[in-house]
Amino acid sequence: MNTNITEKDGKYIVSLEGELDTAHALEVEQAMQPLHELSGKDITIDCTKLDYIASSGLRILLGLLKSAKANGNKVVLSNLNDEIKEVFKMTGFIDLFEIK
Amino acid sequence: MKKPKISSATISQIAILITAAVLMLLISGIQQNYARKQIRNNLERNAEMELIIKSIDVKHSLEDVTLALRNRSWEFEQFLPYPDSLFDVTRRIVEENPNFAGCCIAMIPNYYPEKGRLFEPYTLRRGEVIETFQLASEEEHDYSKNPNFILAAENDTSFWSEPYQDEDDLNVRLITYTFPIYDVYGDMVAVVGIDLNTEWIGKLLNSRHMFPSSYNLLLSGEGRLIYSPMDEIRHKDVNQVMGLINDSTAKHTVSASGRVTIFSFIDWEDRAKGSVYYQTPNSIRPWSIAVINYDDEVFAPLIKMQWRNLLLTLAALLILAFIIQRSVRSLSKLQQANLEREHIESELNIARNIQMSMLPMTETATLRDDCNIAGLLEPAKMVGGDLYSYLIRDEKLFFCIGDVSGKGVPAALVMAVANAQFRSISAHETNPARIMQALNEIGCQRNEQNMFITFIIGVLDLPTGRLRYCNAGHEKPFVIGKEAKLLPAKPHLPLGVMDDMIYTAQETVLQPGESLFLYTDGLTEAKSESHELFGIKRIEKGLQDCIRNESVAPEKLIHTMTNRVNGFVDGAEQSDDLTMLAIQYTPQEKPLVFRESLTLKNKVSEISKLNAFVQSATTTLNMEKGLANRIKLAVEEAATNVINYAYPNGIEGNIEITIEADESRIRFILTDSGAEFDPTGVSKADTTLSINERPIGGLGVFLVRNLMDSINYERIKGKNILRMEKRYVGQIVKT
Repeated sequence: MNTNITEKDGKYIVSLEGELDTAHALEVEQAMQPLHELSGKDITIDCTKLDYIASSGLRILLGLLKSAKANGNKVVLSNLNDEIKEVFKMTGFIDLFEIK
Repeated sequence: MKKPKISSATISQIAILITAAVLMLLISGIQQNYARKQIRNNLERNAEMELIIKSIDVKHSLEDVTLALRNRSWEFEQFLPYPDSLFDVTRRIVEENPNFAGCCIAMIPNYYPEKGRLFEPYTLRRGEVIETFQLASEEEHDYSKNPNFILAAENDTSFWSEPYQDEDDLNVRLITYTFPIYDVYGDMVAVVGIDLNTEWIGKLLNSRHMFPSSYNLLLSGEGRLIYSPMDEIRHKDVNQVMGLINDSTAKHTVSASGRVTIFSFIDWEDRAKGSVYYQTPNSIRPWSIAVINYDDEVFAPLIKMQWRNLLLTLAALLILAFIIQRSVRSLSKLQQANLEREHIESELNIARNIQMSMLPMTETATLRDDCNIAGLLEPAKMVGGDLYSYLIRDEKLFFCIGDVSGKGVPAALVMAVANAQFRSISAHETNPARIMQALNEIGCQRNEQNMFITFIIGVLDLPTGRLRYCNAGHEKPFVIGKEAKLLPAKPHLPLGVMDDMIYTAQETVLQPGESLFLYTDGLTEAKSESHELFGIKRIEKGLQDCIRNESVAPEKLIHTMTNRVNGFVDGAEQSDDLTMLAIQYTPQEKPLVFRESLTLKNKVSEISKLNAFVQSATTTLNMEKGLANRIKLAVEEAATNVINYAYPNGIEGNIEITIEADESRIRFILTDSGAEFDPTGVSKADTTLSINERPIGGLGVFLVRNLMDSINYERIKGKNILRMEKRYVGQIVKT
């Protein structure tokens, strides 16, 4: 499970790669921690290479969304695969995030 | 101004009344007319009779006069030679006959030469005084020139004169009877005249009358009044009547003899309408006799009757109006009552439909192959206080049967509430004792009506056949295996009696093929016509017979029992609601194609192992990737829950995961020894909340439920056992 954070065109881009299961949730949460403290920039989460996500992964994304919203920023999810999109639909998360 | 509205009912009432009034008046008019004719006919006959009788009376009275005189004819002869004694003769005659006003003996001229040419001894009654004197004188009273004398002398006959007025008293009318007398040689020597006061005849005639104002008249041959009517009728215009009679007589002349002539007239004097009946009977010819009656008296009884009829008609109309009013009112009341009853009946019908719709659909049970259910509820009234219910959640069959005290609508309402609560509590609680407890607490609240429910709740775990149940004062169910036995069910108090009652669950295990038969006292207490109760023995016998006949399917159990109880009751009125519920446990054992187990520690890092384990199984079963991912997610979420929450912090524990699969289903069984936790009782996460309302976490169980076809939890022997199942299409990859 890899988490890369880059800055491009005044936006943070988070690339998630692999399976975001409960076992890897803590690792990803820690990797994303800096984003909670930084403000003023929108965040795009690139899910092109994300194969799987468990509820612990959803929790991390929700936590990030809440912080960003508090700072007046957006969180955009991009390139979700069908199965992950299904999970987002099932849980209602699809209405919370901006999906590209 | 708004015009007061008159209802069509009022109009028809008035129409009926008017018709009735017109009919009554018409009938009464016809009757009156007929009665009037009858009265007139009767009167005619009576008048004829009266005239005949009275004319005979008059004739007899006059004959008395002539007879009296004839009897004295010897006296005349005897005293002829003594002219002066004739004075005494006349005086005696007058004295002896009070009706005689006078008597004269007019001798033929020159009979007594010594007495001159004329000699006429005469006695006259002036009131009480009787005077006798010689009447004749050459100058003043030459009787020889009197037409009556001449008539009697020349014709040698007796006759009655026309009436005339008395010279002394104008009120007195007289008639004179004149007859000749003869000497011993048979030569006529004198003419005797008797003056009769007609008042006497008048009194005789008017001694009695048909009506108070009626009076009789006697007329001479020349149409002159022979007597004056009596005082009390004198105000009537007698002259008018006489004139009318004379006119009429002139027309009819003598030919009308013996016949009564009738005509109506209006009295000039007092405008009264009257009728005259007169005739000239042979007995008194040429005199005529008449009777005059006045209509107001003739028809007085009729008029009286008319008034009485009118009053009676009015009274009848009033009564009719009253009856119509009352019957219309009672009719409309009846209609109203009918409407109300129909209304209530239709509402009761709706209530019955609602109640019946509360019963679970048998289809839900037949969709499953691991249990088979049939139920019957027959309320004694339109709606009943019995209930049965069942639902399947998370591979558990929740069922209940109950009997609310009382019948009808109140019981049905309590039943509906109990049913709803049973279903809502069962949505998150699997322990029947706790469901019962919750129902009891709710049932005891605000139970002013002191209604109670006997109730049994059962929870059948379909994967294992484990049955937990709790009884609140209800009839013990039967378990039907090799034979029918009562389920040992501890009878707690019914629901709604004591709010701090502790209910405990009992448990047993149903073997595949075994059935449960539940019922209410409507079955045990069904009464035959001889008031015998159906009783538990008959139920047992019925069930045993079903076992013997190998027809223990729920529908057949209920069918058999229904037939038996109907046969037993045989037409007697159903006194209580009749309810039965039968459940057969029919798990389908299919051969496993896959079975593997894995034990994990309660660490999050172990999830990777789990995911690999699940993935290898789904790969082995050649499962489609999307489905495999969904299954992996569900199992991970379930396991994460256990890892995070089953054991207290820092305490190491194990989780055992077993994967089983038959050719169409894959099953995951998670077993741990941690604290009791039933994920199936967790309420559903709300996925519609906004970001800020959305809790972080709480999605695990929700995802498991949504991703799997079924989940099932059991706590057995200190272990939490969670089963998850999913149907799949796949094929084992043979290696």
